[in-house]
Formats: sequence, C-alpha cells, structure tokens
Amino acid sequence: MKKFVNNPDNFVPDFMAGVAAANPDLLEYVPEFQMMTRKDIGSGKVSIVQGSGSGHEPAHVMAVGPGMLTGACQGPVFAAPPVDACYETIKACNSDAGVLVLVNNYQGDRMAWDMATEMAQAEGINVRQFWINDDVAVEDSLYTVGRRGVAGNFFVIKCCGAAAEQGANLDEVEAIAEKVNKNVRTMGVALTSCIPPAKGTPIFDIGDDEMEVGVGIHGEPGRRREKIKSGNEIVDELFEAVRSDLPFEKGDRVALMVNGLGGTPITELYLMYARAAELAEKAGLTVARNYVGEYCTSLEMAGASITMLELDDQLEKLLDAPAKVAARIF
Amino acid sequence: MSVITQEMIEKALQTTADTVIRNEHYFSDLDGLAGDGDFGTSLASGFKAMNREWDEIDKSSIGAMMLKISMICSKHVGGSSGPIWGTGFMKAAMPTRGKTEITLAEAAELLQSAIDGIMARGGAKRGDKTLLDALFPVHEAMSEHAEAGDTAAALKDAATAADAAVDETRALRAGRGRASQVGERSTNTPDPGIVAIATILQDWCKAFGVESHPTAEEVKKAIA
Repeated sequence: MKKFVNNPDNFVPDFMAGVAAANPDLLEYVPEFQMMTRKDIGSGKVSIVQGSGSGHEPAHVMAVGPGMLTGACQGPVFAAPPVDACYETIKACNSDAGVLVLVNNYQGDRMAWDMATEMAQAEGINVRQFWINDDVAVEDSLYTVGRRGVAGNFFVIKCCGAAAEQGANLDEVEAIAEKVNKNVRTMGVALTSCIPPAKGTPIFDIGDDEMEVGVGIHGEPGRRREKIKSGNEIVDELFEAVRSDLPFEKGDRVALMVNGLGGTPITELYLMYARAAELAEKAGLTVARNYVGEYCTSLEMAGASITMLELDDQLEKLLDAPAKVAARIF
Repeated sequence: MSVITQEMIEKALQTTADTVIRNEHYFSDLDGLAGDGDFGTSLASGFKAMNREWDEIDKSSIGAMMLKISMICSKHVGGSSGPIWGTGFMKAAMPTRGKTEITLAEAAELLQSAIDGIMARGGAKRGDKTLLDALFPVHEAMSEHAEAGDTAAALKDAATAADAAVDETRALRAGRGRASQVGERSTNTPDPGIVAIATILQDWCKAFGVESHPTAEEVKKAIA
C-alpha cells in the first residue's frame, strides 16, 4: 500500500499543519500539543472540547470551528492523546461559562481525559466530561468499559456546538449531549482493513470475499465475519441492527446518516443510502434530515456505517444552525 | 546482591527502553490480534522520549527519577499506555522519595503502590487480562524473597512468574481495554501488556547475569 507520508512519526502533525494552513482565518494550531482551536474563542459561551486518536478525520480536528468544537487535540493514529495535551486543550479553551469535554467511549480516552479533567478542576476550571457511546455492535455490560463511540459523535458535537453558540449554559449543553447520545445508534461494516502509517501493514487480515460486520473504527472486530453480500443485503443487516436497538418505531422522525469509513467511494455510499431510506420508509420512519459522506473514518478502510438519530423540534433546530469547520465541500 | 541501588534501577530502565523500542512493531502486532494495534508504538514513544531526555532527568533519588519518567509518559505517550504507565511510575515514586537504594521489601512496596494506582486509574482487576496479571505474580515472587533478600533469586522467580502469566491468561476473556469490546473473540490471544512485562523481566535477567529460560512463545520471540 502506497501512502503520502514523510516520516510516519510526523504523520499527524504534518496533516494538522495542512488543516491549519488551509483555514488561516478560522483555526489556531499548536504543534506542541497537536491541538487545534478556534481563533475566536468566545468569552461567555460554553466551550466544547474533544480529543481522541487520529485517523478518524474529519473527526475530530476538522470539526473545530464556530457552531461545532471550540478546540480539539489529536493523539497518534488510533491512540488517545497524551494526558498533557488533553489538559492543555481544556486550558486553552477555558471559558467563564465552562468547558464540556465530549469524548468517544474508549478506555484510553477515558483514562487520559479523567486525569486531565482532574488536573484542570484542581486549577479551578469549570470542566465536565460527557461520553459518547452510539455503537450497537458490541454488547454493553458491567464487564466491559461499554459501547464504543463512533459516527454518532458528529450529531452530539453539532447539537452541543450549536447550543453553546446560541448561549446555552453548561447544564443545558450537557443535557443536549445526553439527549442526542441517548437517541443515536450506529453500526458499521468493513470490507478491507486500514493501514496505520506507523505500522505500514493492514491491521487485520480479511479475505477478498469476506466482510466484518459491526467493525470498530480502529479495525476492532465486530459481531462476526461472514461472506460478502450485495450492497442492499448489507444495508438491510446494518439498518435492522440500528433500528431495533433503540428501538426506532413507526412515526419517529429521524436523521439518517450513511458514513464512509475512508476507503469507499461516495457512489457506493449513495447506493447504500438509497436502500437505507427505503427501509426507513417501510418502517414508518420519517427521514427529516439526511447525511451521506465521511464524518468519522478509519483511514482508508473500505466500509461504511449507518447512524440514526431520533429527532425532536429542539434537535432539528440545532442541526440546522450554521457552522463553519475545516471539513467542507463548498 | 542484597540491596537494589539507584544505578541498578537506571540500568533496568535503560534495558526496558531497549526491550520496548526493539519490540515496537511486534508488541503492536500482538495488540492487533484483539485490540487496536497501537500498544507497541505508544509505549516505544515514551521510552524514546526517556532516552532523549535521559541526561536531564533528575536522578537525585529513585523517587525523583520515577516522578520525572511519569511526567514524560503524560507528555509523550498516547493511548491507554500513557495514563497506565504514567500512573504506575508516579505511584512508584511515592514510597521511594529521597531514597537512593532500596531493599527487596521496599521494591515490593514500590510495585504494590504502582499496582494500586493502575487499578484505580483503569478500573481493571486481576483476571481482566491486562498487564496487572503479570504484575501481581511478579509482586508475589518479590515478596516471597523479601526476607532472605536474594535479589537475583527474586528476579529469576519474578521473570518466570511473568512468563507463566502469558500462557495462563491466554484463554481468558479481556475485561478491560479495547480487547474487552470484542468479547469472546479476545480469548486464545496473548495479552500484549503481559508479554511486554514478561519480556522486560527476561531482558533484566540477561542484563544482570541471571539465568532464565522463558517458555511462552511470544516471550521467546521478543527477548534480546
């Protein structure tokens, strides 16, 4: 596999420099902590912070900007950022109105953000954490750290970022995070493995005729490995896993997302969306907002995930609020 | 050997760095079997930073040195390994503050403090198939030798115990970390944290001239 890489160790700072260079009016990049913040951190507004492993772009660093994240720090590819970077990001984004850290639920991120949050709180910063866990693929039990946070992350950031921009207080923004997370579900499938630049080889082996159903965004195994099926059959399986989990029921208004995992062309994502929309209609759901593209990826992994969020008037308005981030098509 | 001097601990740390950096990709490959494949590179980035900053590290006491290494982990090690190893070194610094040599009993106390800190940080316990499953038997081996104070014998038994932990835990289902999320599919794979601890101890044996013969396949592959 060929990649555009200089020194694999510098892969993350190198791409972040590009994100900063392409958005000179919007973003401030601090290489020492692999941290990106808005240039206009507004006083009096709640700050929304995120930080996690790299390799999921546009999450998390390309989600920084007005109406979305206040700041983000990046770890190495697929690994939580160092504690130090998390702590410095909270400090850089500190606001009189408080800071809400939104993090996808993984063990490494939990520990790093726990330590960083404790350190920031000891300094008198008003910071809280919220854990996103929308992936239905893995069982949730006391035995594990719980479900993973995947593409549903986008909806939590979008709604919290909009609310913060509109002047909601920390309690209100946190309540929105809870509402979105409670009502959003995702499941993914992988056709190929990704190749982390520092590793240089696929992270798992999968046959040409196989797919991993319920894959994680770091290539973690999902529910099972099976022979590849037609696009529609795959969507049927993912959609039903997502629909039945909340469950989404007849009459619900939903946002429907088909998210690419990095290595699947947009044509195939729209092919999948066509089937997903058909299934939603058959289930009596009203698709009020739709999203097709890359929101949370796994480097160049061929694959996709389906996310559904149950909507109400408040969430619809927050989804529609303007935002300006590095990930854009116009 | 009856006491453990600061020089010996420095040599052990440098040996650890060699072990970890040499096995950077191998430990990540092991992690990739059930986890996310970043363990080796994460840990290596910390020990590479330790090597770079080695001359500036405060070595006025064992505790001062451990605390500085903890801070290096917080700054340079991403993933789960940063908080785990960072917390471990920080807690190890506490009972060794101001000391430039320790007894075997004090070394066991240092390790107990690190184990308690790691358990509190990550919520893991013995049997969750994490590096704790290597650290517990290592602590037991050290404690058994504490009274007699034969450091070489303690190291040999500790290395043997950690090596045995690789195979003893192979069939377990992971209870913490990313491997825990794959449930039953984390069984019949070695835990990379346990393999790392076992390999480090084997390399310590070699560095200190203690004869040891590991049996776990992964450790045999990883030793110098």
